[in-house]
Amino acid sequence: MGAEQITTSHDMPTQPPVVTAGSGNHNGSRNGSWRNRRWPAWLGLPVRYAGLIFFAAVTAFPFLWALSVGLSVDPSGIWQFPQAFWPQDPGWYWFGRVIHDMPFFTYLKNSLIMAGMTVVATLALAIPAGYALAQMEFAGRKLLFGVLLATLMVPMEVGIVPNFLTLSGLGWIDSYAAAVLPNIASAFGVFLMKQYFEELPGEVLEAARVDGASEWQVLWRIAVPMSWPAVGTLAIFTLVTAWNDYLWPAVVLYDRMKMPITVGIFNDLTGPFAVSTSLVMAAIMLAMLPVLACFAITQRLFLAGVMDTRA
Amino acid sequence: MAKPGVHRYTAYLFVLPFLLPFAVFSLWPLLYNVWLSLMDYFLAERITAWNGLANYVTLSESEWFAQGLKNSLLFLLVVPLMQAAALALALLVQQKLRGISFFRAVYYLPVIIAVSIAGVVWRYVFHYEGMLNGVLSFTGLWPGAAVDWLGEPKVALYATMLFSLWKNVGYYMVLYLAGLQAVPRALIDAAHLDGAGPWQRLRHVTLPTLRPVILLCTLLSTIGALKAFQEILVLTGGRSDTITLLMFVYSAAFRGQSFGVAAAAAVVMMVVCFVIAAAQFRLFGQKGIWGREV
Repeated sequence: MGAEQITTSHDMPTQPPVVTAGSGNHNGSRNGSWRNRRWPAWLGLPVRYAGLIFFAAVTAFPFLWALSVGLSVDPSGIWQFPQAFWPQDPGWYWFGRVIHDMPFFTYLKNSLIMAGMTVVATLALAIPAGYALAQMEFAGRKLLFGVLLATLMVPMEVGIVPNFLTLSGLGWIDSYAAAVLPNIASAFGVFLMKQYFEELPGEVLEAARVDGASEWQVLWRIAVPMSWPAVGTLAIFTLVTAWNDYLWPAVVLYDRMKMPITVGIFNDLTGPFAVSTSLVMAAIMLAMLPVLACFAITQRLFLAGVMDTRA
Repeated sequence: MAKPGVHRYTAYLFVLPFLLPFAVFSLWPLLYNVWLSLMDYFLAERITAWNGLANYVTLSESEWFAQGLKNSLLFLLVVPLMQAAALALALLVQQKLRGISFFRAVYYLPVIIAVSIAGVVWRYVFHYEGMLNGVLSFTGLWPGAAVDWLGEPKVALYATMLFSLWKNVGYYMVLYLAGLQAVPRALIDAAHLDGAGPWQRLRHVTLPTLRPVILLCTLLSTIGALKAFQEILVLTGGRSDTITLLMFVYSAAFRGQSFGVAAAAAVVMMVVCFVIAAAQFRLFGQKGIWGREV
């Protein structure tokens, strides 16, 4: 649970160690209560795991089925209920077909470029703005803050029509820029950075200012290096949100060779390739692979419980 | 608290790079929607013509819009289910057991999978020969179940709600988990000493302490339910009577080329959101939904 400290340590009182919680004069009854508690816990262990496994099965069964179908070279059993979860004649045949029949690596490249651009731009914009809101006083600060709060409550989908018209007016439809631009000004990113920058020890920043550092230098040489957890969290969440973005790229990109995985795979799998369920599921598994890898490495950040992935 | 040596305009230089795209792509659309909703828009010629409130009249007479509104409100049924499920999961993964972080990760998994990717898989799960019917008939809950969950207008919306629940519950689980970890241990121990059983501890200690988290999650999932759209788009494309408010906006604009009507529907959506935002300010005060001055 170390990750909680990164971003929520300010929110939560530190959980006291169990032994020291409560006062000493309860020691006798505390021991009694611990024994009472441990017995059902020990007896209930299989029940607890059964519960955990049951919900894990409910959550994961679509993916397990998809994996099994993708790995089944022989597709005859993929609609039989329990058997379908075990690959028939296992092999990589359908995965090979995906790579061969679909421009999978083009989609992957497009996803990488667009998500990368979004992450860099989001950080570059949110960090100075968050710093200004946290450390500087200026006219309109309160207003800006209120406006940011208000826009957080409006789903981004409300803007698809105006943004589409704006970008088509600029003649940028069907370009990476059109897919990326509306996503880079992240109000939530500014919030997160502001929250973190406010907690920085004022003396350190002050000392740098007294030494003649400009605010820009204080930000990038002192504040940002002290805030890697927040910067990292914002980067990872922006990456996953941008990588998973489906609606907006689907609206502004027409050229199949410019589409990210989410759009390209979806169009292919619900269109020309829908005829083979095996091929569809192999493609799904391939598309999930980069996200799963990223999640495996960074899951502590996600499970820390502060970030909003709605962007 | 102006800092010594900081120029008056420095702050604006820091904010401006963010403010420009923010104004163009986040603020302007809100105003543009209002303006556009009073216009006829001709995409090919890029000309607009004032038409008064004609778009709103069209909306009020549109069966599709009425259904979208109704379905968006029906989608709110997900909210209480989401809270119950997320809290239950959070209580389950709060236990200190070997391998618990694996289960947390599994429950969170649907949140980080793109809606289009998860949607494709669930189209097959909801298939009349699919695994949902398979489970139902195999377990004897509904022998011989063969429902086309996404093709049957009576159930399709509920199927998309089930998908939405599955997709998002892990997100709220994490918020509840963070909340649970903030419940003072001493409080629970004290209740325990006083002889409170697990259910009483939950009811009288944990839940009252969780109040802010419950409010936050309820608010977020209410907005999430009202804006239900992408799950509909990838599962049914709006067929089988599953059109929602935002699905209507999307269809009107990109399938019907009626940008003015789409904008008018978006304005309705915006008003609903701002009403909720206002309620949020009343509930949570200036500190915002994250419980502290963010």
